[in-house]
Amino acid sequence: MNAAAGQLKLRGRIELGDYPVDAAWSPDGKALVVACGAGDIVHVDVATELKSRSIGSHGGGALAVSWQKAGHLIATSGQDGLVLLWDARTLESRAIHTAKEWSEHLLFADNGRLLAVSTGRVLHLFDTAGQLRASFDPQPGSIAAIAWRPKSNEIAAAGNGGMRLHRVEPAPGSRDYPWRGACLTARWNADGRLLASGMQDGSVHLWYVASGTESQMQGYGAKVIATEWSGNGRYLATAGGSSLIVWDFGGKGPEGSEPIELRSHSERISALACRPTGTWLVSAARDRRLLLWRMGASDAPQDAHLLADECTVLRYARAGDRLAVGDARGGLSIFDC
Amino acid sequence: MSSRVPVTVLTGFLGAGKTTLVNRILSEQHGKRIAVIENEFGEVGVDHELVIGADEEIFETSNGCICCTVRGDLIRILNQLRKRRERFDAVLIETTGLADPGPVAQTFFIDEELKEYYSLDAIVTLVDARHLEQELTENSVAREQIAFADIVLLNKIDLVDTAGIARVQQRVQGINGTATVIRTRNANVPLDRVLDIGAFDLDRALSRDEDFLQTPRPFEWAGLYQLSGSQLLGVGAHADGHDHDHDHAHEHSHEPAHPHALEHVDLLLLPVESGSASAIDAQTDAAMTLFGQEAKTCPSHARLPVKQLVRIAVTGDAHYHIEQAGHCVLFCEHAPEEFGLHLEGAKLLEERRYGSHHHDPDIGSIGLEDARPLNAEKLNDWLSYLLQSRGQDILRMKGVLNIKDEPRRYVFHGVHMVYDGQLERPWPAGAARRSRLVFIGRNLDRNELEAGLESCIA
Repeated sequence: MNAAAGQLKLRGRIELGDYPVDAAWSPDGKALVVACGAGDIVHVDVATELKSRSIGSHGGGALAVSWQKAGHLIATSGQDGLVLLWDARTLESRAIHTAKEWSEHLLFADNGRLLAVSTGRVLHLFDTAGQLRASFDPQPGSIAAIAWRPKSNEIAAAGNGGMRLHRVEPAPGSRDYPWRGACLTARWNADGRLLASGMQDGSVHLWYVASGTESQMQGYGAKVIATEWSGNGRYLATAGGSSLIVWDFGGKGPEGSEPIELRSHSERISALACRPTGTWLVSAARDRRLLLWRMGASDAPQDAHLLADECTVLRYARAGDRLAVGDARGGLSIFDC
Repeated sequence: MSSRVPVTVLTGFLGAGKTTLVNRILSEQHGKRIAVIENEFGEVGVDHELVIGADEEIFETSNGCICCTVRGDLIRILNQLRKRRERFDAVLIETTGLADPGPVAQTFFIDEELKEYYSLDAIVTLVDARHLEQELTENSVAREQIAFADIVLLNKIDLVDTAGIARVQQRVQGINGTATVIRTRNANVPLDRVLDIGAFDLDRALSRDEDFLQTPRPFEWAGLYQLSGSQLLGVGAHADGHDHDHDHAHEHSHEPAHPHALEHVDLLLLPVESGSASAIDAQTDAAMTLFGQEAKTCPSHARLPVKQLVRIAVTGDAHYHIEQAGHCVLFCEHAPEEFGLHLEGAKLLEERRYGSHHHDPDIGSIGLEDARPLNAEKLNDWLSYLLQSRGQDILRMKGVLNIKDEPRRYVFHGVHMVYDGQLERPWPAGAARRSRLVFIGRNLDRNELEAGLESCIA
């Protein structure tokens, strides 16, 4: 029951009773696991009617969740300092890591064989048995974003002071890409040549890792909280304050060119997400608007919904046919698209 | 945005008593939910409150502007905390002894997301009364922590003698003329004097104390006396007759003589009709005028005239006669502890302390006051220029401004180059519409600031 192209069709909204901090889709797009602000880990079944149940919790609050792209492992972290590894078939978990500092980010590799966990300034890699494979040297600042590099064994860990690439296969190693500024996001383009990072100082930093060059897009009025590549790899959608700016990487690339500004949000944008295929983009802001865009084709929103409250998390299912939207009132809405 | 959670920033050198204060706040039964973010790991830990340890993390910018630096650890932690189901009534940030309060304060102005949920309530600086003079000499961070403060807790006063406390307080007020100074022992201060006080909410600060942006005065102290007709005014180190600080019980330290001993002091004696509590304030304007005149030097043993600014020697065993009965207000250029003032045969009914005018050579406060209405555009131009050109040296600024044809007061406050300003409530009926501005910073030039304000007159 896909929606017509260019539409977001609300399938339903379910009350979680708590602030959704992060969410991860199952490989088949029939379920989600949501990490909540008060600590609950909630399993949401979306195959037929929406059903949710708490499957466990992190004391003090949950921070992040990741689900293997093809597989049955789920990882979560929380303010209790723990990283839990879950079996999606039994929904049972065990702790694989504990630390005094929060493990704020975690992410399975695309091939599912490694789990990256950032704890403060340190990046750790675990295997699927939960065994620690590597802990890299502390970075200059707390890690704010991690991203596995496509077509590679490397993972980028970005934060204050720049970005580092780490790998454990075939042999452990790290490469340093220093920059005087605080990275907030990290997103690879489709072929893994270029990493885009949104910065606290209102700029976007680009690392052309393959060629070793760097460039910067400045002039955002506020910190850049999202940098998302279009499914077809041509556009980079970025958000800072209420500005939604799209850079076109077709042709000669964006340097020196005028970006596209998509105007419709009246307040601070809280999240962006790109459909895994095509040029579709969704944006959500503190103004409670959820907008659908088609980058490169139109500067007007293709669809709009008003959410119950500010959006807290925005996640497309892997096939791009469903979108999960968390709101600060404690609800999770599922759209067909 | 009134539902924003107030954030108190606690600064101070290691050993000043921050951990004692935090433990007191956490263990007192005050019915509030307080989250504490600790950058200095002391012996803190109480079950029912939330304490998060974090390393200070300064986010620099690629252009190197120190006024744009923010504290990444605070952004990260506070944005996670707001997602919890239970709301906190207050957040307390305990910084390390060496922390520059600038980036901490700027974080709450610059980070758009954070300022939707949190508001900087006050910067509280705890100082060790015993060691402050030494720290001020050795370390510029100590001066900056005082310069940034809304409240200075002068702690461990039980370990310093009366003259020492007065001297330290003068140093503090010389650096920061607008901070409220509270003397404490064992960091014992009522919580409502440090948490959720709204120091950055100027409208609230004004409604609490109309005089909080006090213009620096040429006198530091005034006392209301009941005189018996004939009394002796003495000076010198032996006297302690004007110590009304009953907290002060022990004198462990025996400080050497004042390092910058005073030789003479200007005094003004004004007879008043009654001994009511408002008598001192009613005489302030008259005193300001008379302090602007040349002082008459009065030799020792002489009779002090009234309604006339006199300069008396305060060395040796100089003493003076006052032949006057009834109520009288005595204005002194310096605080009485500094020159050992004692007035035999007179009863002190009331006293008032004003900001010090001993300016620290490096960091100090400058206050400006003007009754003429200001032009809003010119003002905006001047403040923008000032912040661009002197922003790194201006640590704090605050003001209440009289804008032409505007019934409301324009209030603003700033930290380094960032500032917030808005029109707030109307001027009180019958009150004089006087613009008052205070700048606290390094090497400030009064002439430059006065000329700037002059250029904004409508």
